[in-house]
Amino acid sequence: MTKSKHSSSGAAVPSAASVSRRTVLKTLAAGSATAFAAPYIRPASAAPTQLRALMWEVYAVPDIVGAFEEKHKIKFSPTFFDGNSEAYNKLRVGGTRDFDLVQADGFWPSLYFREKLIRTIDYARIPNTGKVYPVFKPDRFKLLTDPATGGHFGVTWCWGSYGTTYNTAEVPKEKVESIEVLFDPAFAGRLSTSARFEENIALTGILAATRMGTKDKPRPDGKPFNPYVLTDEELAEIEKLLIQQKSLLLTRYQDNTTLQQLLESGAIVAAPEFAQVYRVLVQKKLKGEIATDFAHQLVPKEGGLGWVDTWLVTSGVTDPAALDICHDFMNTFLAPENIKKISLIAGASATIDLRPISTPEEQQLYLMDRTEELSSMYMFDQPSSTEKWERVWSRVQAA
Amino acid sequence: MKGRVAPAVFLGIPTLFLAALFVLPLLSMLVLSVWRTENYHIIRDVSFHNYAVLATEGAYMTFLMRSLVMATAVSAICTLIAWPVAYGITLYGGRYKLLFTLAFAVPFLTGEVLRIIALQGLLGPLGLLNGVLLALGAAPLRVIMYTNVASAIGLVYLYLPIVVTVIYLSLLNFDQRLIDAATIFGASPARAFFEITWPLNLFGTLIGFALCFIPCLSATLAPRFLGGPNGTLYGMAMAQQFGESGTWALGAAMGVVLFAVSVLLVVVAARLVDLRRTGFTGFGRG
Repeated sequence: MTKSKHSSSGAAVPSAASVSRRTVLKTLAAGSATAFAAPYIRPASAAPTQLRALMWEVYAVPDIVGAFEEKHKIKFSPTFFDGNSEAYNKLRVGGTRDFDLVQADGFWPSLYFREKLIRTIDYARIPNTGKVYPVFKPDRFKLLTDPATGGHFGVTWCWGSYGTTYNTAEVPKEKVESIEVLFDPAFAGRLSTSARFEENIALTGILAATRMGTKDKPRPDGKPFNPYVLTDEELAEIEKLLIQQKSLLLTRYQDNTTLQQLLESGAIVAAPEFAQVYRVLVQKKLKGEIATDFAHQLVPKEGGLGWVDTWLVTSGVTDPAALDICHDFMNTFLAPENIKKISLIAGASATIDLRPISTPEEQQLYLMDRTEELSSMYMFDQPSSTEKWERVWSRVQAA
Repeated sequence: MKGRVAPAVFLGIPTLFLAALFVLPLLSMLVLSVWRTENYHIIRDVSFHNYAVLATEGAYMTFLMRSLVMATAVSAICTLIAWPVAYGITLYGGRYKLLFTLAFAVPFLTGEVLRIIALQGLLGPLGLLNGVLLALGAAPLRVIMYTNVASAIGLVYLYLPIVVTVIYLSLLNFDQRLIDAATIFGASPARAFFEITWPLNLFGTLIGFALCFIPCLSATLAPRFLGGPNGTLYGMAMAQQFGESGTWALGAAMGVVLFAVSVLLVVVAARLVDLRRTGFTGFGRG
């Protein structure tokens, strides 16, 4: 390194120019580093300034969130996802540091807990958990309890099935009581299913196992039948069925709005869905906006798929003050007046007993007297081999 | 000094940009493609398993072939439509030439998702076209509802403005006096077009074709929202690997194959076409 003329003349007195440049560079570097790191650095004793949630968009109801923000002087920052696998991917790649709360359904909370992505919570700090229907109490709904310690790691708040919504004038009730209706050539070109590969394969899996007689026989894993844990023979049968079904489908719908349009226009007469579109259509009928009558088959006779949405706290929440906020957020969310509002907006049935504050029509539409049917459904789960399921789905799409 | 700094800056910055935002991600895809996934977990065992799956499972080849056919058809349709439109603007646009060209950019002021969803509404069962047909008592046009035809319409709608703009720019730089000279020497308008205008604007046409073809090859949104049960294209299948199925390594291998196919097609096109005879002026005067 060559020294400059100025520095050689007085090493003890650095030149104004070099000091100034270095100082500026150091200041800039320190400033940039602080600016970049500031959001991630917080003294343990400081009160949380934001609550970060990874959730489905439809459940972020502005006035409930706004009231919570006002109460705690905190910013609620939601990030939206579409499916459980997307949220799981986000958490696995460091998301436990980026999110405090996460939503999931089916068996996903257990998987998150096994992989230490979420932590235990204290039901005593969430008194509204005591208002859930009996079928969702921890003694019967065991998916949110660690069998080893008895600790709880999530709260339920809404539930549903993947039942069939159908046009009552076009599809006889006895036909829709079976999954076979989705494979019936009598409705060729007038059926639709979701674009989600997991539910397509799992629902067809129930039908395939029923036809093959393997559903009620001892399973290779020694456990009861689970449409997310299928044998290679069953997967081969499912592939065959799904390929046959393709010619009967108008499309695989991507979103509820599309499905609603398809049913409303009469382009299709039946489709499996989460009953959200069914509720929209029934309300439109009540208002006189449409003339067609629609009904929803909650559980087919072969068995159906069910889901329970939950709130979970990520393992990144270690600060007691942040955990308190999470507990209070879940309690606020589960308050009957709030959960009713969310339920009506999202078109989903609540796990909290809302009958005392609901009209008879709402009780019927939101299946408030049918929560016990959940115990007969197969919960949404992670496929036993996503690789095998992906190949089956690709072959179906390419056929 | 100034003479050495300027090229370094003007060529160095784009090179760094390309290296950081294109070469590095591509290399990371290459690395990921030789690993594997198992139930949403990446297993870092180096093998060519994913490429073997792509080579032996016919489904992925079907997706690729569908995409190649779709991209070729859409690019050809776009070029066929774009040529008369661009030529018309050049000949008859007068002082509104620029305005006409800018009008083609208007759809770009909205997002691609919005444009596709709007088109879904137009072509769907309650859309404008079928709405009119139903109101007239006719049956809805099922060929435009969730079919490959609907996907193709969507892709033409998305990429036509690009092709028009590129061909228009090529024609704008074309010396129209050459046509006058040809007609003075007795050439018919058709002969003048096919022997002068077309060959001297072939390079611009090829660029327009390529700028439509390459994104069509990896199209995701149009087939997803407009294509039916038989409309899965390569890009859509590839996106699925990074989405719900979580088979990222296979998706990365699909990406590498798509890149290789695209490069191969460009190389083949470059060898088949003599750039010096296509109106390409980038070789310099030396």
